[in-house]
Amino acid sequence: MATIIAIVEDDTDQRENYSDVLMAHGYEVRAYPDRPSAQIAFERELPDLALLDIMLGEDMDGGFDLCMQLRNLSPTLPIIFLTARDSDADRISSQRMTAWDYITKPVSLEFLVARVHALLRISEQLQSQPEPEHNVSVGSLVVNEKSMLVHWKENPVNLTLTEFWIIESLSRNPGHVKTYDALSDVTRQGLVERNTINGYIRRIRNKFREIDPAFDRIQTVHGTGYKWEQDHG
Amino acid sequence: MNSLVGSRSAKALPDGGVAPGAPQIRPGLKIRTKLLLLVLLLLVIPWMGYESVREMEKFLLAGQEQALELTTQGISSILGNRTDLFDPGVGVPEIIGRPLTSLLGEIEEPLAIDAPAEIWAASVGPLTHFSGFGLFECGPEYRPESLAVRHGLALGPDSVFAFFEIDDDVLVFRDPTLLSLDANDQIRMTIQRNNGEILRYLLTAQAPGRLSVYLMRANWKDVVDGEALREIVGTLDPLTGGFAVKVRIPRDLLGVGARLKFEVVDIDDRNTREIEQIISTEPDPGSHEFGSVRLVTPELAKLIQPLYISEANITVWDRSYRVRAQVGSVVPPAREAFGMTPPEKASLLKRAEDQLIRFLGWILRSPARGLADMPADSSAEDQRVLARVLAEGEPSTERRRYGDAKLIVTASPIWAQGEIEGAVLIKQSANKLLALQYKTLQRFTILFLAVFVFLSLAILIFSTRLTYRVGRLQRETEQAASSEGRLLKDRIRAGARSSDELGSLTRSISSMLHNLGQYTRYLERLPDTLAHELHNPLNVVNSSLENLQYNHRELTDDKHLQRARNGIGRLRSIITSLTEAASLKEALSQEQEQLERFDLRSLIQNCVEGYQSANPGYRIVATLAPTSAWIFGVPDRIAQMLDKLIDNAIAFGAQNGLIIVNLRHGGDNLELTVSNDGPTLPPEIADSLFDPMVSSTRDARKTHLGLGLYIVRLVTEFHKGTVAARNRRGGTGVDVVVSLPTLTGQ
Repeated sequence: MATIIAIVEDDTDQRENYSDVLMAHGYEVRAYPDRPSAQIAFERELPDLALLDIMLGEDMDGGFDLCMQLRNLSPTLPIIFLTARDSDADRISSQRMTAWDYITKPVSLEFLVARVHALLRISEQLQSQPEPEHNVSVGSLVVNEKSMLVHWKENPVNLTLTEFWIIESLSRNPGHVKTYDALSDVTRQGLVERNTINGYIRRIRNKFREIDPAFDRIQTVHGTGYKWEQDHG
Repeated sequence: MNSLVGSRSAKALPDGGVAPGAPQIRPGLKIRTKLLLLVLLLLVIPWMGYESVREMEKFLLAGQEQALELTTQGISSILGNRTDLFDPGVGVPEIIGRPLTSLLGEIEEPLAIDAPAEIWAASVGPLTHFSGFGLFECGPEYRPESLAVRHGLALGPDSVFAFFEIDDDVLVFRDPTLLSLDANDQIRMTIQRNNGEILRYLLTAQAPGRLSVYLMRANWKDVVDGEALREIVGTLDPLTGGFAVKVRIPRDLLGVGARLKFEVVDIDDRNTREIEQIISTEPDPGSHEFGSVRLVTPELAKLIQPLYISEANITVWDRSYRVRAQVGSVVPPAREAFGMTPPEKASLLKRAEDQLIRFLGWILRSPARGLADMPADSSAEDQRVLARVLAEGEPSTERRRYGDAKLIVTASPIWAQGEIEGAVLIKQSANKLLALQYKTLQRFTILFLAVFVFLSLAILIFSTRLTYRVGRLQRETEQAASSEGRLLKDRIRAGARSSDELGSLTRSISSMLHNLGQYTRYLERLPDTLAHELHNPLNVVNSSLENLQYNHRELTDDKHLQRARNGIGRLRSIITSLTEAASLKEALSQEQEQLERFDLRSLIQNCVEGYQSANPGYRIVATLAPTSAWIFGVPDRIAQMLDKLIDNAIAFGAQNGLIIVNLRHGGDNLELTVSNDGPTLPPEIADSLFDPMVSSTRDARKTHLGLGLYIVRLVTEFHKGTVAARNRRGGTGVDVVVSLPTLTGQ
C-alpha cells in the first residue's frame, strides 16, 4: 500500500510542484486548496503525513485549525508546516500543536523530500517499540536517531525535525565546534543565514531550559558557530 | 514600538557639521508679558476718571460761581435804593468781642446809674462771660476766682449802658496818696471814633461808689487832662467775691460807627500794686486792629440775616469801605464735616487702609488739607475787589487760591439814586464742593484699584496657565520626534481634552502625529510585508526549477538553469535581509530577560578572525584594548551587529582595503569603532544613515537595502548605547562608532 501524503496549499503552482515531486518519489499525494475540502477528506481517510500551509487564502490560521483536527484524529501523525510566515509566535504555536517540523518558504524540493522520508521513517519507528540499542548517550543527553527522540536527564525534549538534526550534529562530536556552515547543511534547508541558526539554537536552549533551568551545554563560539560542552563529572 | 522609544542614540555627524538643533528661543516679549502690558492700558481709566472729575470740578466751580454771582446781584438789588440803610447815623458802635450777628439790646427807658446791679444785669440782657483762659495778658497761673468778668451792653435813647460783674478776691482801691492812677483795680475803655480818633478812658475808684474817669494817653499812665471827666458816669458796687461796675456813656461821645473796647485790670497786692492780669472784651487782640472800621447797621444786618449761605461770608460795605453787615463764615463750623476724625487705635488692616487713604489724599489733593490754608483775614484782597466794584459799578467775580484752599469772591455794587451806595461781597469756600469731588475720586480710585488688581491677577493667572499650556504643547511636540525626525510618540495626551483653540491645536497635532505614526509603522512594516508576499512566488519559481531539473536530468548543468538558480539565491538573500530587521525587533522585545554578562573583547576577537577568513580580499584588523571589556547584553545580537558593521565597511570601503575594528574604554562606555577607507558620507544622508532603507550605494550589482546600519542602531539601542558615523580626517574613510555602557563594579 502506497504511503499517502496530504498537501494543503492555497497556491496552485506550489501545490502542484509539491505533488509532482512527491509523486515522482513514489508517494500517493492528496492535494487540497483550502481548509473545508481538506477537513472533509481527513474525516474520511487519514493520510500518513500531512504538509500544511498556515495561511489558506483568506483563512489566516487555516493550517493551525487543520493541524488540531489531525492531532485529534491521530496523536502520532507526522505534520509539517510549510509556510512563508517566519515568526517566533507561529513556531511556538506549531510546537504547541506538536507539529513535527516547521519549514519556511522558499523550500528546496530536494530537502523537502528528504524530510518527508525522514519523518515517515521516524513515524514507523514510533509505531513499533523504540529500540534502546539505537540510543546514543552523551553525558545526560540521550539521542535516539531512529525515533527522533531526545532525552535530557531522562526527560523527553520535544524538538522539531530541524532542531533534532542540530542536536544530533552537535552531540556527535562533543567539545568540537560546529561552524555555521556545517549547521546550515544539517538543517537541510539550503542556504541558511547565521541568524536563522542562532534562532534554532535559541529555541533549542529554551526547550532544554524548560526541563532544566540550569542547562548550559550548548556553547556559543562567537563569529564561528556552536559546540556541545562535554560533561565534566 | 522599539524605534519609538530610542531617542537620540543614533546621530550622524558629518565632517564638522552640526545636527539641526531644537527650535531656537528668540528674544522678545512672551505672552504673559504682553497680556500684562495690555492690563497696564487699564491705567488709562483712572486717568480718564481723574480728568473727568477735574472737568466736573471746573464745571461745578463755574456753576457755583454763577450761583454766587446771582446771589450777590440779588442781594445788591434788594439793598438798592435804600439810602437809609447806609446812613452813617444809623450805624451803631460795634462792640469788639461780641458776635456781630447778635446785635446790641436796646432799652427804651434810660437806666438810673444808682439802680441796683440786679436791675442793670437784667436790663442789659444776657451777659457775656470773659475769662482769662487763653489770653496772653493772664499768665499760666491764672485762677478764675482771682479775676473773671461778665459783661453786658445795651443801647439807650441817648446813652450806651455798660455793666460789668467782676469776680476779684482782693479789691484794691485807688490810694489817694499816690499820684499814679493805674496802680489799682480799674477798667480801661477804648473808643475808636468814626474818624479814626482813638480815645482812652480810665475808670477808677477810691472807695465804693462813683468812679473817676480820666482821659489817658496811649501808655495808660499819663493823663491827658488832669480833671476827671463828667460825661461818662460810672459806679462801683462791691459784691461778695468781687464787685459790679455800671457805666453810662453818652452816645454823642461815641458818635456814629465807633468801636468800643473794655479791659478789666486786676491788682491784688496793695503794697507792690503790680498789675496781675488784664481781661479784655476783645478775645483775640491781634485779629482786629484798630483802623479797620466796622460800622454795623442793624437794619441791614437784619435784612441779610436770612440770606445765610453755608460756608459763605456775606458782607455789605458802604462807600467808605466800612462793613455795614456781615453774616456767615467761610470756614465751616466743624472740620469733622470733612471726615477728618483723629485716628484711633486701630487694627493693622485699618491702619493700612488709613495709610492708603492718606496716600490717596496726598495724590488726589484732599481739600481737607486746603482748609488749613484758608486765611483768617483776607480783607486786603477784599478791599481790592471792593475798590474795583465801587469804582466801576460793575459786578466782579474772582477765584482765589490760598495754597490748596479755594475761595470764590463775588462783589456787586448797590445802587441808590444813580449812585453807588455800597457793595455786597460774598466769599464762599469751594472746598466743600471739592470735598465732594474728592470723595467721588477717592471712591472711584479704590474701586478702580480693586478692579485693576483683580483684573491683573485674573490675567496673570490666565496667562500663566496659557503659557504653561503652550509650553507643554511645545515640549510635547518637540519630544514627539527626535532631532533626526524620527517619531517617538504618536499622540499628545496632555491638554487634548480642552475645548478651546489650544485644545483643538493639541488635538490636531496629536492626530497629525498619530497619522505620521501610522505611516511610519507602515513604512517600517513594509519590508516585512514585501518579503512575505515575495516568498510565495519565489517558492513557485524555485520549486518549478527543481521539478524541471528533476524531470530533465540533462539540464542540471545548463548555464541558464544555473543563472536562474543564482537569481533565486540573490532574491532569497534580499528577502532575508528585508525580514531581518523586522524579526530582529520582534526578537529583541522578547530577549529583554536574556541579557548576560560577557566579554565584548573576546567576542570581537573571535568574530574578526572569522571575518578575515571569510573575506580574504580585505585586511580586517582588530586593535583592541588590552583588558577584558565586560558588558551586559545578548552576545548573539552583538555579533549580529558586528556582522552588519563589517558588511557595511566592506560594501562601502575601498576595494581590497583595510578595515580596522577598534575597541577602547572611554569613561563609562566602551567605544567600538569600525573604520573603512572608502569615500566619505554624502551629506544628504548623513542625518538618516541609521534609518531603515537608507543607503548611499548606487551600484546595481550590489544589493543594499540600507537595513544593515538600521540593525546596528536597533541592537545598539537595545543595549542602551549610541551609534554615530563620521568622516575620517584626510578626505577618505568613515568611522562608525558604537558606544555601549560598560559594566561597572565587576
